[in-house]
Amino acid sequence: MIEIQGLTKRYGAKTAVDNITATIRPGLVTGFLGPNGAGKSTTMRTIVGLDRPDSGSVTVNGKRYAEHQNPMHEVGALLDAKAIHTGRTAYNHLLAMAATHGIGKARVHEVIAMTGLESVAKKRVGGFSLGMGQRLGIAAALLGDPQTLILDEPVNGLDPEGVMWVRKLTKHLASQGRTIFLSSHLMSEMSLTADHLIVLGRGRIIADAPVGEILALATGTAVRVRTPQAADLANRLASSDVTVTSVEGDLLTIAGLASAQIGEAAAQAGIVLHELTPLSASLEDAYLELTQDDVEYHSEVSR
Amino acid sequence: MTNTTLEAPQTTTARSSTHLSFPRVVRSEWIKLRTLRSTQWSFAIFVLLTVGFGLLMAVTLDTSSGPAVDTETQKSLTVMVATLGVNFTQLVAAVLGVLIISGEYTTGMIRSTFAAVPTRLPALFAKALVLAVATFVVSLVSIIVTALVTAPILSGQGIEGQLFDGEVMRALVGGAGYLTLIALLAFGFGAVLRNSAGGIASVLGLILVVPTVLQILAGITQAVWAQNLSAFLPSTAGALMYAVGDGSAAGGPPIGAIGAGVITLDTTQGFLVLLGWVVVMMIAAAALIKRRDA
Repeated sequence: MIEIQGLTKRYGAKTAVDNITATIRPGLVTGFLGPNGAGKSTTMRTIVGLDRPDSGSVTVNGKRYAEHQNPMHEVGALLDAKAIHTGRTAYNHLLAMAATHGIGKARVHEVIAMTGLESVAKKRVGGFSLGMGQRLGIAAALLGDPQTLILDEPVNGLDPEGVMWVRKLTKHLASQGRTIFLSSHLMSEMSLTADHLIVLGRGRIIADAPVGEILALATGTAVRVRTPQAADLANRLASSDVTVTSVEGDLLTIAGLASAQIGEAAAQAGIVLHELTPLSASLEDAYLELTQDDVEYHSEVSR
Repeated sequence: MTNTTLEAPQTTTARSSTHLSFPRVVRSEWIKLRTLRSTQWSFAIFVLLTVGFGLLMAVTLDTSSGPAVDTETQKSLTVMVATLGVNFTQLVAAVLGVLIISGEYTTGMIRSTFAAVPTRLPALFAKALVLAVATFVVSLVSIIVTALVTAPILSGQGIEGQLFDGEVMRALVGGAGYLTLIALLAFGFGAVLRNSAGGIASVLGLILVVPTVLQILAGITQAVWAQNLSAFLPSTAGALMYAVGDGSAAGGPPIGAIGAGVITLDTTQGFLVLLGWVVVMMIAAAALIKRRDA
């Protein structure tokens, strides 16, 4: 369980994270989505105390990360695949990290096996590919058998097999009641991995809801309508809950009404319809729509 | 890279026994220190330079033309031979001291370190402790080995080592102590500046360039303040730690330049001045490391 309360972090004049409040619950894979520079990494860094918040607080299982007796057992974090001394071998890196908590060699070998690093464990990290670096970062995060796992862009640079593995691993760990918090800019990946999504845009939370709900909210009732009497139909449907957008002369996109309702309204008014298509957008579209204007959707989605 | 398993087998160690503690952080830092090639090379160079320069001086020393050397000079020469390498190994100690911490910043490793030790200061102090102990042991061993190896050669020149003389022993240990404090001073610079090039340049500037500049200045102007300032520089004050007699043998204030109002330090004072430098740098490093984002 990670609780973020009114977190704000500035770098000079730039506000990276602007007063965000969220709870990342155990037993779920929570996805952290947002465009580059939205503040995802900053938020994750404050959770493990690498960055100091300007205001607000972050606790893990009720305490600040630094106050835990056994930090690596509370939180395992992969924040940067390059946060490793390039002159040391993977095995020695893990051994040194494990030693801080008195974690034995047996566990070091376990995480090496889990992440498939056996063949390169004795090689210097400087020669690692991004994918191998990611695996080593995940191995280090798993050392303490953590209750909470934080992974910043874990699939970045991984081959498809590795992506699949991360997906299975995170779901598996969540099913054991652990808290899993992972960021990505790959929306399609998130729709497969995450149970819950927190969408961040320009340092603010745009959406915080189950994956399905975010899809529904952002795209659920958009319908494409083609009619020679476009203006007529638009006037008839206009209300505070309905948004009608004119795409071109005879083409409208209508949000806020189901296709059946639009069809019935058109029939009643004797308006001819040439096309009536419910738009089932992907999470990608939903995400783009959400991040387009963060303020407008703030109150709607986060409720 | 292909056989990835999903199941996380239960760890073999009991959960309750794994937690963070200072001795464990020290152990971690020790693993880090010994698993880098740069440290291994640095310490190898340490031994080589100390023994090499000691042998070189012992072999080339010629006392046949002069009168028989007195006991004080014998002691002084013994120490000088054994610690001649310090002039060079101090550069290695300084570079090593900076790199051990700045290397973590430049590679990003510091974020892993601070994520594992979120209170940060234990990691800083453990790193300093490991560096200090390793530097002290390696320098003391190489200085003593040099003294032992050169003893028979010096004996041929009529110089009896007097290795078990209290003053000689103090100076030999002092040489190792000096190198240790220089390594720690450099470590402080590395921690404050978080940058290898900047850290190394600053430390070498302080222990090599500044004393030379002040010496030239003092030589030209006979300015008392320049001589006094020079006496309190880390390398000048620290040099007293491995000198016997009046300290002039190892870079103390130039003889003849001592005038009214010029401060001269004794061995203990020299040690305390250098220690003061280290303490100030370590406090600055500790304060900054707590406050800064990693």
